[in-house]
Amino acid sequence: MNQSIPREGYQSRIRATTLRLAIWTFAWVVTCAFMNFGPKFLWDKAIVFTVLAIALNVGVGAGMILANKNYIMGLDELQRKVYLNALAITVGVGLIAGVPFEVMDTYDVISFHAKISHLVMIMSLTFVVSILYGSRRYR
Amino acid sequence: MKNRLKVLRAERNWTQAELADALDVSRQTVNAIETGKFDPSLPLAFRAARLFGLRIEEIFHDEERPTLTTEIRKDAYV
Repeated sequence: MNQSIPREGYQSRIRATTLRLAIWTFAWVVTCAFMNFGPKFLWDKAIVFTVLAIALNVGVGAGMILANKNYIMGLDELQRKVYLNALAITVGVGLIAGVPFEVMDTYDVISFHAKISHLVMIMSLTFVVSILYGSRRYR
Repeated sequence: MKNRLKVLRAERNWTQAELADALDVSRQTVNAIETGKFDPSLPLAFRAARLFGLRIEEIFHDEERPTLTTEIRKDAYV
């Protein structure tokens, strides 16, 4: 028996939301660079332009959050579970690593200054590893 | 939870990707359900039941709990 079934697109829907999330994330990274390097290299630390760059970054960041929310809501239940597990681990690691990291900086346990970018890197790495582990687990 | 998804799919010559499309989930999810690594939600179980034209309990069954007929047979011996 070979019954045909309607082919609609979970995959194409996910591709679309992933692309939208990637565009928003890329735009956010660009506005981060703009906000960080603009005052020094583009407008000689003029307050008005710096505030505008910050506002642009926050606005695009809000768009990225919504795109991420839409992406998660579009996932099927297993992929959502993997994604939410990864997010939970990432938030936990961010909290657990962040506080001691700052204390280590305060009491000179580490030779460099603790920056938010270090934490972002740790959290990004944790998220990627958690997603890979979760996907592998249900493969 | 055990299920007959793989058998039912094979009877219809559907690939995992085709079944995934019909259930509006990813192929990975179909595979995880078929191999017993992931238990579907009730709405997804209903979608599968509708797709195959069967009742949910004809596709999915709890492996920890004995079936009703087993319980009745046990009672008969008490």
